[in-house]
Amino acid sequence: MAKLGVQIEAARGVMARATAVPFLVRAAVALGGLIAMGVAWPAELIASQLIAPLLVLVAIYPAVAPRGRGATFSAVVVVGGWIADTVGAGSRVELWRVITIATLLYLGHTLTALAAVLPYDAIVSFDMLGGWLLRAGAVVLVSAVLTVATLGLSADLAGGAFVLATIVGIACAVGATVLIARLLRRA
Amino acid sequence: MTDRLALRTAVPPTAGGEGEAWSGPAWVPTRALGRAVLLTGLFLLLGVALGRVDLVLMAAPFAIGAAAGLRRMPRSAPELTITADEEHIVEGGRVEAAVTVSNTDVIPYDLVVLRTRTSPWLKLEQADRPFAITVPRDGWYSVQLPGDAMRWGRQPVGPAAARVAACGGLLACRPVVVEARGVRVYPVTDPFNATEAMPAAAGLVGNHRSRRPGEGGELAGVRPFAPGDRLRRIDWRVSLRTRDLHVAATLSDRDAEVVLLLDVLGEVGLSGGVAGSASVLDTTVRASAAIAEHYLQRGDRVSLLEYGAGARRLRPATGRRQYLTVLEWLLDVRPDPVEVDETDHDNVFGIHHLSSDALVMVLTPLVDPRSADMLAQLTQSGRYVVAVDTLPPDAKVTGGGNWTPLATRLWRLERENVLGRLREHGVPVVAWAGAGSLDLVLRDVARLALIPRGR
Repeated sequence: MAKLGVQIEAARGVMARATAVPFLVRAAVALGGLIAMGVAWPAELIASQLIAPLLVLVAIYPAVAPRGRGATFSAVVVVGGWIADTVGAGSRVELWRVITIATLLYLGHTLTALAAVLPYDAIVSFDMLGGWLLRAGAVVLVSAVLTVATLGLSADLAGGAFVLATIVGIACAVGATVLIARLLRRA
Repeated sequence: MTDRLALRTAVPPTAGGEGEAWSGPAWVPTRALGRAVLLTGLFLLLGVALGRVDLVLMAAPFAIGAAAGLRRMPRSAPELTITADEEHIVEGGRVEAAVTVSNTDVIPYDLVVLRTRTSPWLKLEQADRPFAITVPRDGWYSVQLPGDAMRWGRQPVGPAAARVAACGGLLACRPVVVEARGVRVYPVTDPFNATEAMPAAAGLVGNHRSRRPGEGGELAGVRPFAPGDRLRRIDWRVSLRTRDLHVAATLSDRDAEVVLLLDVLGEVGLSGGVAGSASVLDTTVRASAAIAEHYLQRGDRVSLLEYGAGARRLRPATGRRQYLTVLEWLLDVRPDPVEVDETDHDNVFGIHHLSSDALVMVLTPLVDPRSADMLAQLTQSGRYVVAVDTLPPDAKVTGGGNWTPLATRLWRLERENVLGRLREHGVPVVAWAGAGSLDLVLRDVARLALIPRGR
């Protein structure tokens, strides 16, 4: 009981000292996760009373604990829902949904990376925040352009989309392996 | 009791092996990097396995972000410096401190989290919060920490630590720490004016009139010429009248030595800085600064001596330079207790350090019984002693039981007794209350000079 009192006091101290910007970053992570869940998962599963609270918890957890594996798990759950929707429920692959999910997943990832290193009571300079958001925005823009181009192409190339995916996938997998090898050698 | 000195070799050993290994703090991948790589690989696999372009495209921002962030790797560490302005800072005055982070690396530092600690007696704005800033490549950023100094002493600003997240949050470095930097805050001095003459002026150059004849400025009459007198001093008017050589006799100018003896055996009372209550050491240091300033302005010599385990002393000198040295010396006043040893009844220090002509002003709270013994011994040896009582009137013992307030009152009564006995022995004891508190006492001390010394 005394331990609970100590924890409440600690939480109150944290609330008193917390500054606005780190809190907003975490709120943005939570919001992005929720919207991504809403867009990716099939509508009937979201309406069910069993699944929806679980999804909300999984979406919000990275905002509470940005340093853990919660963000990875949350991204996997979002994509799992998307696959369930397109394969299981049979919905069409729509461009706006793909772009939305990709954008929100990446934004959640960078903002979680920021929240992991930003203390809750920090005084943040707006240069830092602006630079971070600008870089994230640039990546999102480039990948959105790529998505639009590729999905537009694949509509024309019918069977060629599979080949394209394979080639791109293998190239990126090779690149990722090289990167990991370099980092491991440095560390 | 000294420990055996550890001797170094004359030629330092080459630090080759160790120097190579420590080339800077390591840059470690963060969990974000692992997440980016994992998600990229997973989505690509799923895309290839299920034949879905959209899944491959969901991996695209992660891959592009990681590639863009990691195209150049950091090679060195940030450099931290703490600066504080070097002006003469007095208690209650403004302090301007700053912490500067400089980036000598090939990449910009996306996020630098800077934390500092400061002395509790320096109220620097927002110094208790971490700062999140960004430093461009080959650039620097300075975080200003202005504030007020609340108490005298050497107050440290720092140590400061910086953690950097670079490459879009994918790499982080271990904290870089820089040591604290001391800021000298001088005690505030009330103007102190004692207008009385000194009891025994021993030096030959100074501001005080003396009764002894010698070379000097003050005329003491005309006397007949004696061999050895200076020819310049011949008073021609009187000589012509009396048909005998007469010279003008002068009184020598003398200066006096004042010894300030600071009792640092213990600290009593809670210090509230310049705006709050004063503890014993606060009163001691401020009073010493005020008294030293007064006597140094009049051209007398002032020396300081600590009554404690260390028994630090400052040799006597005069002038403004000595005043600045006194202020520096006072910054290092700390409680210096000496354990009570029943078998050892000697003094904490030998009073033969004090010249017998000096005016000794002892600043003591008279809490330790050895202080009263020391005062009595000084008086019995024939010196002119003035005691300044530095105990704050509202000091009380915290904690304790139901009998503590009563015991405190009894102790205070006993202390008044001791003060009374000291006064009977000829040691005037005055409580320090700023300007004017010592005038009456010093007038009495000047009268004491006429009494034959010793008992």
